[in-house]
Amino acid sequence: MPFTDIAVALQISFTYFTIIYLTGLGGLFSERSGIVNIGLEGLMIIGTVTGAFGARFFTDTLELGLPWGPILGLLFGALCGAIFAGVHAVATISFRVDHIVSGVVINLVAIGLARFLSSAFFNGQSTQSDPGGPHLARLDIPLLSSLPGGLDRAFQSLSPMVLVAAFMVVPVWYALNRLRWGLRLRSCGENPEATRSLGVSVPLYRYQGVLLSGAFAGLSGAFLASEVIGNWREGQTLGLGFIALAALILSNWNPIRLMFFAWLFGFATAIPLRLNDAPVISALPPQFIRMIPYIVTIVAIAGFVGRVRPPAAAGKAYEGGGGT
Amino acid sequence: MATEGLAAPVAVAKQRSSWAETLVGQLLALLASLGIALLAGSVLIVAYGESPATVYSSILDASMGSADGIGYVLAIATPLIFSALAVAVCFKGGLFNIGVEGQYLVAMVTAAWAEIELGFLPGPILVVVVLLAAMLGGMIWAAVPGILKVKTGAHEVVTTIMMNQIAISLVAWALNFPLKFSNAPPGQNVDLRTDQFPEGGLVGDIGQYFGVTPGAHLSWLLFLAIAAAVIVWFMMRRTRLGYESRAVGSSPGSAKAGGVAIGSTQLRLFLISGALAGLVGMQQILADRGYLPQNYVVFLGFTGIAVAFLGQNNPIGIIFAAILWGVLSRGEVALQIESEVPREFIIILQGILILSVVITYQIAKRRLAARQLQRAGAAGELDDSAGPDESGGPRGPEIGGREAFEAVEGSGT
Repeated sequence: MPFTDIAVALQISFTYFTIIYLTGLGGLFSERSGIVNIGLEGLMIIGTVTGAFGARFFTDTLELGLPWGPILGLLFGALCGAIFAGVHAVATISFRVDHIVSGVVINLVAIGLARFLSSAFFNGQSTQSDPGGPHLARLDIPLLSSLPGGLDRAFQSLSPMVLVAAFMVVPVWYALNRLRWGLRLRSCGENPEATRSLGVSVPLYRYQGVLLSGAFAGLSGAFLASEVIGNWREGQTLGLGFIALAALILSNWNPIRLMFFAWLFGFATAIPLRLNDAPVISALPPQFIRMIPYIVTIVAIAGFVGRVRPPAAAGKAYEGGGGT
Repeated sequence: MATEGLAAPVAVAKQRSSWAETLVGQLLALLASLGIALLAGSVLIVAYGESPATVYSSILDASMGSADGIGYVLAIATPLIFSALAVAVCFKGGLFNIGVEGQYLVAMVTAAWAEIELGFLPGPILVVVVLLAAMLGGMIWAAVPGILKVKTGAHEVVTTIMMNQIAISLVAWALNFPLKFSNAPPGQNVDLRTDQFPEGGLVGDIGQYFGVTPGAHLSWLLFLAIAAAVIVWFMMRRTRLGYESRAVGSSPGSAKAGGVAIGSTQLRLFLISGALAGLVGMQQILADRGYLPQNYVVFLGFTGIAVAFLGQNNPIGIIFAAILWGVLSRGEVALQIESEVPREFIIILQGILILSVVITYQIAKRRLAARQLQRAGAAGELDDSAGPDESGGPRGPEIGGREAFEAVEGSGT
């Protein structure tokens, strides 16, 4: 098997890593603050439709051109994701609706809302926009992109967002572990009563966590639609939001480990696309390879391998302060 | 919870009144959320420059104004009744089965397999066998999270999410390999699908007896759905399993102390839920298409969760909730033809409805719990901050969520 195939599979895996990692970070902020968020897929969907619209709107309609048009498009997707996550925040934090119930509703409503927005954005087309939207210039990573033996392909013509996602781990880790803000956010997820007794507003931090989760998932969706595919299409998220959730659980809600699992699942997603002829893999139907991330997650939460420990208070209604 | 103990003795005397109060409270909450949804919808309609009265009456007219319309509505409601019942059965036992989606996908595969492999059987027997195959498929898929929950404590929400995703790949695999059509269907050979099922293996159209167009694909699966609702109601109210599952759902601790085998109850609920989920896809492949296509209708399982909330997890309420959902869905047709408002408006309306239902029920339940608590003589102590664990109002989902992931933790030690 030629190295180039592996290299291209790696290159694709970096793209999927970006999608899964950004969405997973979104889930991380929310769940670390104590709000279970299974609505990541829905938040991503809103990101895809608004991101695709934003990229076109800022680039062509407002004539900002490159690179500002696509950048603002991505940020617009993040903003809309955060706004939509506000629904989850209000329901779970202010009205104390069950987190799972609200998450399911988020996923359900997102599909309809995406169609509705799409028909408003794209001249009545409710399930897709015109292909070939504007995107950021592709870039080759210095040094790595001149590796010999065909491996260079893995590091060529990547979206700059891949680097943004990869380096995102630094500020996220720092904010969560070294800033007072992060400490408080995490303590809201571990022991809200104790946090409150220190004079910290638990709802305030949880709102921030949930809105951040919407922003990250929205950014990830916008990246998928405008940078990877080039247009919005219904169903293009393909359950990546759930893969992100799986990666988050396996990472034990840790941003550094999340990087590894996001890449691993990204690579698993890339295999059927590029490595069909490899030994072993060619014997398996591609659909079975797609099942791997989910099976691994089931095995892990069943406690057969390793252990996962979620934030202690995640998913529990918090009665003190704020709310109705 | 301490409040359970406080409320129980008094509840004996006041049972009837609190039961009626709960019902009235739920109805009020439902009406309030319908009102909110219609009001929010009106704002949107006005934004499109149309009159809400005209749009709403055209929706009603398209869905309830003719025999055909009613036929379409009932055909839409049929799978939703099954899926909402599947969700509700688990809710009663404090379990959150969001895996109905995956369970019905797998069931469609097992049913299609039975149709093709056992097609030699005579008509009525074949249909029965196919329905059993579907129920079995759903049960197998539900058994995995059920067994994992009972044996290892893996939380069913996470496992069912993963099982849903696996099911999507499984259907794709079945359509690409074992069940791929052997003779390309004429005219539309681009779409991946199974072979056409034998004529005798399809469920009959009943629309013709009521003057409904065959295009609605109204089938006797509707009666099966209603029968299933009655059976579930009976099971929950009048059998030992129903009693035990309600006990497990409202207070696992007391149930255990009372001698209920929690694990076995939960597993049985999962299996019943899976069997019901298995029937969700049958309207689609046996009454509508006659084969399993690649572009099968998705999200019936998740929509079932919405319908279950709307119907308050009550089997009879679910029938009406599914019909209400069908009325709205059918209304799309009216919007397409008669109005400037895009048809996606309906989905937004359904979304707002379900959001406001979830929130108003939560508020109503807390109010109700607080009031019943007050009457029980524990006023002041917990007041309005009465947690979601207190009696009254819908039970299941809150309990499922409250202990979200807890079990996972426990399994680690």
